[in-house]
Amino acid sequence: MLFNSLTFVVFFVVVVTAYWSIHSWTARKNLLVTASYIFYGAWNPPFAALLFSTTAMDFWLGRQIAKAKDQSRRVWLVGSVCMNLSMLGFFKYGNFLLENFQWLLARIGIIYHPPHLDILLPVGISFYTFHSLSYTLDIYRGVLQPTRSLRDFILAVSFFPQLVAGPIVRAGDFLPQLVRPPGLRIGQFMWGLLLMTLGLFEKIVLADTMLAGSADRIFGYAGPLVALDSWLGVMAFAGQIFFDFAGYSACAIGAALCLGFHLKDNFRFPYAAIGFSDFWRRWHISLSTFLRDYLYIPLGGNRVGWTRAAINLVIVMFLGGLWHGAAWTFVVWGLLHGSYLVIEHASRALVGERAWTGNFAVKLLLGFVTYGAVCLAWVFFRASDFTIATRMLRGMFGGHPHGDAILATREMLQIGIVTFFMMLAHWSLRETNVETAVTRLPRWLVTTAWALMACAIILTQGTSNAFIYFQF
Amino acid sequence: MPSSTSNFKRILRLPRLFFRQPTEAESVHGGPPLEFERPIPPIPWRGITVVVVVVVIAAASAWEFYCRSIGYGPTLNDNEDLWTMTRQRIKPESIVIIGDSRGWFDLDLDELQKGLGKRPVQLAMGGGCGYPVLADLADDKTFHGTIICSFVPRLFFAPPGTPPMERGEKAVRRSHTQTPAQRASQYFAMPLEEHVAFLKQEELTLDDLLKRLPIPNRSDARVPPRTPPYFGTLDRERRARMTEECARPGSELQKRIQQIWLPLFTPPPPPSYIPTDVFMAKIKDAIEKRARDTIAAVEKLRARGGKVVFVRLPVTGGLKALEDKTTPRNQTWDPLLKGTGAPGIYFEDFPELATFNCPEWSHLSAGDSVEFSKRLVPHLRAALGM
Repeated sequence: MLFNSLTFVVFFVVVVTAYWSIHSWTARKNLLVTASYIFYGAWNPPFAALLFSTTAMDFWLGRQIAKAKDQSRRVWLVGSVCMNLSMLGFFKYGNFLLENFQWLLARIGIIYHPPHLDILLPVGISFYTFHSLSYTLDIYRGVLQPTRSLRDFILAVSFFPQLVAGPIVRAGDFLPQLVRPPGLRIGQFMWGLLLMTLGLFEKIVLADTMLAGSADRIFGYAGPLVALDSWLGVMAFAGQIFFDFAGYSACAIGAALCLGFHLKDNFRFPYAAIGFSDFWRRWHISLSTFLRDYLYIPLGGNRVGWTRAAINLVIVMFLGGLWHGAAWTFVVWGLLHGSYLVIEHASRALVGERAWTGNFAVKLLLGFVTYGAVCLAWVFFRASDFTIATRMLRGMFGGHPHGDAILATREMLQIGIVTFFMMLAHWSLRETNVETAVTRLPRWLVTTAWALMACAIILTQGTSNAFIYFQF
Repeated sequence: MPSSTSNFKRILRLPRLFFRQPTEAESVHGGPPLEFERPIPPIPWRGITVVVVVVVIAAASAWEFYCRSIGYGPTLNDNEDLWTMTRQRIKPESIVIIGDSRGWFDLDLDELQKGLGKRPVQLAMGGGCGYPVLADLADDKTFHGTIICSFVPRLFFAPPGTPPMERGEKAVRRSHTQTPAQRASQYFAMPLEEHVAFLKQEELTLDDLLKRLPIPNRSDARVPPRTPPYFGTLDRERRARMTEECARPGSELQKRIQQIWLPLFTPPPPPSYIPTDVFMAKIKDAIEKRARDTIAAVEKLRARGGKVVFVRLPVTGGLKALEDKTTPRNQTWDPLLKGTGAPGIYFEDFPELATFNCPEWSHLSAGDSVEFSKRLVPHLRAALGM
């Protein structure tokens, strides 16, 4: 079920009404579990069984880890990690691994034709696997006690606002909220609705209507493009993926608030980042912190010397790239970000903290360099193969002076205007958050902005385009 | 409070509800102490929400009245889910109409039911290629009914990756992969679309309104031509009817649409990145492959007892001249019939079918579609051996 569909509107109204009408906290939690499985099963009912089995296994493994002593704790944890990652590996990377195995054998002269596995990717498997995995990992790390209630754990993994496209909510952040029932607070409820409106506006109006068409045409064009169109296409995608994913996150946070639950921010104005460490503190925060806490730090983090720390960064970003999709283009995207981080760390070590680095003009310049480098990396993220990516990069750097111009002036204006205001908003708000900004704004402006966003959503109507991150 | 807010308050004298300080209940989370708690902006939420709801309802109503005042009426949107819903009505021996928008507008289901004894299922689609649907029905082993395939050469032979092919393929794909959520959304959307005029996905959306802005393009920009504006209604059986405004002789809408057809049906220039002769050879290969695939699909159907009849429906004016020039009958229609061995009805071959006028050159008016279908029935019966 998509947030931008009529089915979800009806579903949400029914669930919220029933939820706040029921007095018993147990009954409310049962309702949310049922609703979450309906939400998920509305895509493909059999995959709800897969979701349940992953959850039940991790619930049991969590208890085993807590009960076990010393070495056997690690065995149970390895069991949990293997179970989760093999599930992810089979569904998401099965064909990718087979194709690469075939390629490797061909290099040594063995011709092997593996059967193409007709595997349907369960929607949101990358997200709920991480939701579930965080539980056993945190129990192993000793920061979480296993819950006694399977129902509560099922709800923590499958809570419908964050189930299929994040934010990646750790069981340790969600389970404490299931202890006592939240009260219905008008302010919280309305703020949730406003965030949902903002999220839908970002998705339907900005991502799908203003930017997606241009990005699709540019990346789908089979011929060489002039530099202007190539850059605009990449900028369109940079905006599209931000509004698409940040929009989903805003909807998820808003929907959770309407039900009395608190999810953490997933985006913090990332295109105003100064440097790549800053970018990853602002972009898909729930994934970057997950990788930091469960991968980078266990690898030794930055306490193991400069070279090992750099290798650790590259490993983490390599896996982060692969998490997004089973293709080498995603790996290159991750490795590019890994290289950016290594270069940034090296530069910091060389330059150190100088007074001039605090100058606003320098910050702005570094911010735009960061944005440009992030856009270059997006080329590999969006392109379906390296031929397209190479053609795009050549176009961007003037390699096709006689290439084609395919964007209408209207599309160029849309990309330019949306990108300009997006950057303006990100730079204006980079040191604050949406809540503070809304508190400071005049009330008539908050009201007008909310009404305009709602009107724009109605006017745009939407065609229920799936969110980009569903495929991950 | 900022001065702008104070001025606004003074000028409009909005109720106190809107400007009062929020209560504690509105700004403080009411649950247990949490490790993490989102801040809630301390503003008067009730008042703001009331104003937003009133403004949105007023704006939507005003937009609805305006759309109706300029000739729009409530009608269903044609999308993959409505198509899938119709596709699911097909029974093993059904009569199915496939192809392009001429099959959609020109064939009246009531008249065909009277004449052929069964109510046809309407699967033709605007700007769509009929081949993916033909291939899908040929692969459906349970189906051994009759297919009436509307044939417009430029659409039927559209190469893979072009909009007509993608439209057909997307619809077929959706019919195989539709999720329960998508089905439910279609059921929720239909009553709304039947009552609200501005819910038009290919006409009154923000995207379409932006496309209408008169902004000139770069002289060398390869921008796809525009598609025509709203000129038909659609019901739950996917029966299309031309609007009265479009059918009215000499109407402005009619002239506008006529001028849109010409660039849409003009072959686009070859791409710059492939030598013209290579490109033309590729197009020729694609057309020949489509012809071979069509023959295979028809044979597959015929082997199960199914029947296929191709129909070339009326086209007039400048569009007819363009189609005759760019896709002449002897290079498209004749080889198709010869290759498939299927019967065909070409409107120009029969005086009683050739006298109809298409108001916007491509489709019949609602009234004419009834009469045309009545006159077409004997030819269909003869072609199908009924």
